Amino acid sequence: MVDVGSFFTVGILLFSIGIVGIISRRNIFIMYMSVELMLNAVNLILVALSHHYEDLNAQVMAIMIIAIAAAEASIFLALFVMLFKNARSLDANFFELLAQEKHHD
Amino acid sequence: MLSTFLFYTLSLSALGSAGAMIYFKQPINAALSFIVTLLSIAGLFALLGGSFLFLVQIIIYAGAVLTLILFIIMFLNIKEENLPSEPNKAKWILFMSLLIAPFTAILISTINAIPFAPLHLENFGSIKAVGKTLFSSWVLPFEMISILLLIALVGVVILAKKESKHG
Repeated sequence: MVDVGSFFTVGILLFSIGIVGIISRRNIFIMYMSVELMLNAVNLILVALSHHYEDLNAQVMAIMIIAIAAAEASIFLALFVMLFKNARSLDANFFELLAQEKHHD
Repeated sequence: MLSTFLFYTLSLSALGSAGAMIYFKQPINAALSFIVTLLSIAGLFALLGGSFLFLVQIIIYAGAVLTLILFIIMFLNIKEENLPSEPNKAKWILFMSLLIAPFTAILISTINAIPFAPLHLENFGSIKAVGKTLFSSWVLPFEMISILLLIALVGVVILAKKESKHG
């Protein structure tokens, strides 16, 4: 019989897959989708908690996370369009201005 | 019995398509694989009794956000030379998985040390109950999210605006 702990296991595994994706890939689309995957894993854990305690506050928190993810998606995609217009590339290494010192004039 | 079968089917498809999503080279394949993950997670929500969240997940995530991502991917007209070259992608993914695996194992064994009750199939996350909770104790966060969405809208318009020479 499946218990609530199995849902926690699936949520933790999905979160770990998201971490692996965001660290090991350089394609910004896939990095962005890994962030979304991590948010979804947290949502799954919240809904499992809501089932365990029979409390609806966790489900409302999951709805809030979905709304924030929708706002985040619009900003991310506008940034991708800007990046692609300027660099013609989907490489995350283009965003390295804060990573190293650059000497102008 | 049915819930066990549904749980294993949905979780295997969620984990498998998530693993494929971080491995695909083309972003369009990754996005289509991610849709399968999101729909499987929606099924897991329904299995846990959150019928309203099941609908929200399908309408907003699989419907709106992923459609937006697919639209942008098609709009950008990405060619092979626009993609970053990742010759050691498989090695990186393997290495990071081995690095993350102990922490994941610790978390899973910790969470499974708690005695959980078996799944009881009843619909307690109906739209009426969730709406009552949302509009009684979560009114302020709800209003703040509407402001956040407005700020995101303004930000996107400013980002996507054509830049003038004088800033």
